[in-house]
Amino acid sequence: MTEAIIEVQNLKKVFGDHEVLSDINFAVNPGEVVSIIGRSGSGKSTLLRNINLLEQPTAGDILFHGASILESSFDLAQYRAHVGMVFQSFNLFNNLTVLQNVMTPQQTVLHRDAAEAKAHALELLAQVGMDPYVNAKPAQLSGGQKQRVAIARAVAMDPEVLLFDEPTSALDPEMVDDVLNAMKQLATTGLTMIVVTHEMAFARDVSDRVVFMDQGVIAEIGTPEQIFDHPAEARTQEFLKRYLNRA
Amino acid sequence: MKKFWATLFGAGFALALTLGLASQPVQASGTLKVGMEAGYAPFNWTQTTSANGAVKIQGSSDYANGYDVQMAKKIAKALGKKVVVVKTSWDGLPPALQSGKIDAIIAGMSPTPDRRKTVDFTSTYYASKLTVVVRRDSKYAKATSIKDFKGAKITAQLSTFHYEAISQLKGVIKEEAMNNFPAMRVALESGAIDGYVSEVPEGITAQNANPNLTYLKFSKANGFKTSPEDVDLAIGLRKGDPDKAKINAALAKISTAERNKMMNTAVAVQPATESEGNWLISLLKQYGPMLLRGTGMTLLISLIGTIVGFIIGLLVGVIRTMPKPSTRGKRGLQWFVNWLLSVYIEVFRGTPMIVQAAVLYYGVALAFGINMNKTLAALLIVSINTGAYISEIIRGGIISVDEGQFEAAHALGFTHLQTMLKVVLPQAVRNSLPAVTNEFIVNIKDTSVLSVISVSELFFAAETVAGQNFQFFHTYLVVSAIYLILTFSISRLFRLIEKHVDGPKNYNVMTNQMQVETPTIK
Repeated sequence: MTEAIIEVQNLKKVFGDHEVLSDINFAVNPGEVVSIIGRSGSGKSTLLRNINLLEQPTAGDILFHGASILESSFDLAQYRAHVGMVFQSFNLFNNLTVLQNVMTPQQTVLHRDAAEAKAHALELLAQVGMDPYVNAKPAQLSGGQKQRVAIARAVAMDPEVLLFDEPTSALDPEMVDDVLNAMKQLATTGLTMIVVTHEMAFARDVSDRVVFMDQGVIAEIGTPEQIFDHPAEARTQEFLKRYLNRA
Repeated sequence: MKKFWATLFGAGFALALTLGLASQPVQASGTLKVGMEAGYAPFNWTQTTSANGAVKIQGSSDYANGYDVQMAKKIAKALGKKVVVVKTSWDGLPPALQSGKIDAIIAGMSPTPDRRKTVDFTSTYYASKLTVVVRRDSKYAKATSIKDFKGAKITAQLSTFHYEAISQLKGVIKEEAMNNFPAMRVALESGAIDGYVSEVPEGITAQNANPNLTYLKFSKANGFKTSPEDVDLAIGLRKGDPDKAKINAALAKISTAERNKMMNTAVAVQPATESEGNWLISLLKQYGPMLLRGTGMTLLISLIGTIVGFIIGLLVGVIRTMPKPSTRGKRGLQWFVNWLLSVYIEVFRGTPMIVQAAVLYYGVALAFGINMNKTLAALLIVSINTGAYISEIIRGGIISVDEGQFEAAHALGFTHLQTMLKVVLPQAVRNSLPAVTNEFIVNIKDTSVLSVISVSELFFAAETVAGQNFQFFHTYLVVSAIYLILTFSISRLFRLIEKHVDGPKNYNVMTNQMQVETPTIK
């Protein structure tokens, strides 16, 4: 097995006196697609936000290529440029057009020149079908369109890892597919992805491994077949039963 | 209103005094800097030409003339100096004298005991007399004594010794005091009153301005009993001015007859109101350039003040919203800087601009002998004052930007500065624009308090004009219109700017990507 690209060790996160994550351990290998599933409030998003330090871990460590990202000497900005994130609420820059949203981070963080950034942006916007909207402002787009631009923005940084924080949860049902298709396409390119999602079909069909979280701990990790077809834990079974019955 | 300002000013001046006393910048020079309102005809007024021996007003293209100006020329000649007229508001005269901005007050000022505390007065340079102004066709027009007014309805100007003097008129009906002379003239002409108590120069002016009115001459025995500190006008000097004796000697050589002649000349040549034709056209024709210059000054100060204040506000707002640093030393530094900034904001938001202007302009001159250019002082005060307000507006604008915008930028690897410059500030500034427009409009109006340091902005110009033509209502109506045009244009202009920042409402979906303009990233 190759060396893990991201390794979470004994991670603990406390908000006030509420322990949201306790003793989380797992590793993600290069090129892997890992889905994190679980109930709302089980700590999935908090785990993801700890990985790129939008939240500061209370205890434990997170390694990127074997180096701790919590060291004060660690270059956080470069790390974040290598580990992109797609948010549930899109968070496109409201003051910039679609094209600027995808260009500006490349120019600002990676110091690409305008022509290079623009060519790259247009290519990626075309891939997600958003090239006709380059001059629109985020306020003029639908949720699904915004999320596709947000994916293009994250991919434009040529990241090693992409984190998805419930990317389809805020979308109308008919727009979910557009976004999932864009993500599936990315999964085939060999990009490492960690996806917090409620889309069980995506988790089953696209992921290499599935993490099931419950009450701040990892209850079960396994391949999609293990988790969906032969779940070992009773709570995994119960969760999946509810979900799959509903769908 | 004058009283209110005087109180405010007094507070500011007291503050300035406590900052540091003494060190009077007395320079021996070839000029005699004379302070006056240049808006109290016939003693002093502003005119646009050098006609009739007028003297140029310092830092202005207007000229001053009047009894005071002619007297100043005589005094200066006796001292072997040249007259420089420094146009100064009434309340600003004593501090201007003490701080060395002027060398003498020749402004129709009476040496009251209160004033004597801070100002040294020469002997009298004009002795005024009380009179009663009546209608030429009334039975009181032939009165020769203050005892001849039985049954007459008499008034005078509010809070003057004129009004108290009414009680010397036997058997009159004392009406409510009135605010200004034009109002009394109208009341007199309409028959609402039979006369008002005034001083002789005003009486001559009233008679010249309106042929239906006349003023009465009383012999000494039959006239009003007055105290010299009320009716005698003297020249104000700094305490211990070495030239006082020379000035008194010069005054002694000017006889009463010569003084009366000078006053009659002043009354005769004072700018008359052109009564023919449309009042608006004649007002604009006569005083248009003066009002226009005032408008320009108001616009300049409030525009530059708002822009510089905006830059200050942006910096302060950004510094105050910086995230907590990780090391203890930096945290301490941040705490200290934030403390300094909040002191700045609280002090400048918490004190009136008129006081700040007085402290900066007169206080600094008094304490350190630094003679600041008054336009520069005005720009400085308005900028710093506006900065204090705008930094809170910007801070609010930054706080109101969605947390997700910060997170997305950080997650992409932006530093705090990059996040601010490229993402947050453009949105914060956009959100703050309506409030900044407000500040600009407030500045346009609030620059009027700068007349305390004699900046000739629009309100100061309006006071000058109204003091000359006595058409208070008309003048202030025109000035209100100018203010309204300024503020309305600015609010429209800022709406356009907001629209421009927002970008077009529509985007062309069919735009070929090859034709897409490369966005300029600022």
